[in-house]
Amino acid sequence: MGYLRRLPRFDYLAPRTVDEACSALAERRGDARLFAGGTDLVLQMKRREITPRAIIGLKGVASLSVIRSQAGGIAIGAMTTFGAIESSPLIREKHDFLCETAAGIGSPEIRAVATVGGNLSGALPCADFPAPLMTLGAIVRLRSVRGERALALEDFFMGFAETAAAPDEILTEIELPSRPGFSAGAYVKFHDRHAMDMTTTGVAAFVTWDRARGLIGDVRIALSVSGPVPLRVKNAEAALRGRRLTEEALVEAGLLACREAQPRASWRAREEFRRELIGVLTQRALRQAGEKARVAAERGNA
Amino acid sequence: MKHLSPVSLKVNGDAYELSIPAWRTLLEVLREDLSLTGTKRSCQEGQCGACTVLLDGRAIYSCLFLAVEAQGKEILTIEGLARSAGALDPIQKAFVETGAVQCGFCTPGLVLAAKSFLDENPFPSEEEVRRATVGHLCRCTGYFQIIEAVLAAARERAGKGAQL
Repeated sequence: MGYLRRLPRFDYLAPRTVDEACSALAERRGDARLFAGGTDLVLQMKRREITPRAIIGLKGVASLSVIRSQAGGIAIGAMTTFGAIESSPLIREKHDFLCETAAGIGSPEIRAVATVGGNLSGALPCADFPAPLMTLGAIVRLRSVRGERALALEDFFMGFAETAAAPDEILTEIELPSRPGFSAGAYVKFHDRHAMDMTTTGVAAFVTWDRARGLIGDVRIALSVSGPVPLRVKNAEAALRGRRLTEEALVEAGLLACREAQPRASWRAREEFRRELIGVLTQRALRQAGEKARVAAERGNA
Repeated sequence: MKHLSPVSLKVNGDAYELSIPAWRTLLEVLREDLSLTGTKRSCQEGQCGACTVLLDGRAIYSCLFLAVEAQGKEILTIEGLARSAGALDPIQKAFVETGAVQCGFCTPGLVLAAKSFLDENPFPSEEEVRRATVGHLCRCTGYFQIIEAVLAAARERAGKGAQL
């Protein structure tokens, strides 16, 4: 980590529409960076970790910060801030755990500026939002002058700070499919302080209850800071489908999850500690999401 | 490369026409071009909260925000808070009265964060005040007086509201 200096020089482009932003990015291919909230990028530039010749500021592209209902699900504009997610009635109604996850990021000052698109596109292992979105089967929309394509969020992360977006593509929207009945999610994380801290490890779980049989129907589990990219732990998921929500099942899922993870050692935590955390947090996330889904099924509240 | 761009900023109700490069942060422009030094420069990496200002009523860290991107928004700094009230704002008064100010370096940021928070949430619990101020470091008070000041300001503002 370099020391902080004033920002390096750059050209600043301020498109007003997605089309303008795509053209700007295509023209300046290779030497421009998209600039969303900027809470990460300003720091990286002050440290001279990156020195783009131009930045393309997206704050003026109003269409990118819209949250809307879509085909029973929700579409979230990439420039939506965590503050807006936290207080979105639409998101709270369908996926209240996303609001809680947003509220747990940084401070109110950071959340007023930092965006979900920036959190995904930065592709840093410590980002909190990818894992919960992955458990919901999120799709990301990418636009460029060449056209538009959609990609499962699971296939978006390629490595540390690396995504599947081509150099001329802009992440415009995150789509959440309609929520199945009797389902609930949870995201639990461990960090040293209760705020303003990087996550040591986090686990998201999304459980759909099989009402007829009183068992776990479908389940998805995704981990943060447990490898170079956020990852689904599919062995743990498979072990839980069709099971009762018992301590034994949770412990088994936790063990499988920490075996599938690829955590690294850092000053925050040794690899062994992260693995242990993954086991414990997986149980907690599953217990929270599973209980909520079960209660919803018993009460008949889809 | 053309570096200087015309930038119009509205700060504390006053309009400013500036000619500045895009790589300058809002913090730098407030302090160095407008001489509004009530906004403090400290960590410059979004950890300490000393540089907090309000942008359309919401608290942000001015050290992480480009001045060009603050165009078209209402910026409020600590200088504007006292002026608009004619006297000290109830939050400032509460900070003074509860001993929440010692060296004073974190105070402008905390007062503005408290304003943004209380405008949204006029009847907060202590826990909510603690969560609202997590993004601010204070090396003197130990935070207890600050939390108390924000709660006292909330009571004062609620009392005033009831009278109106």
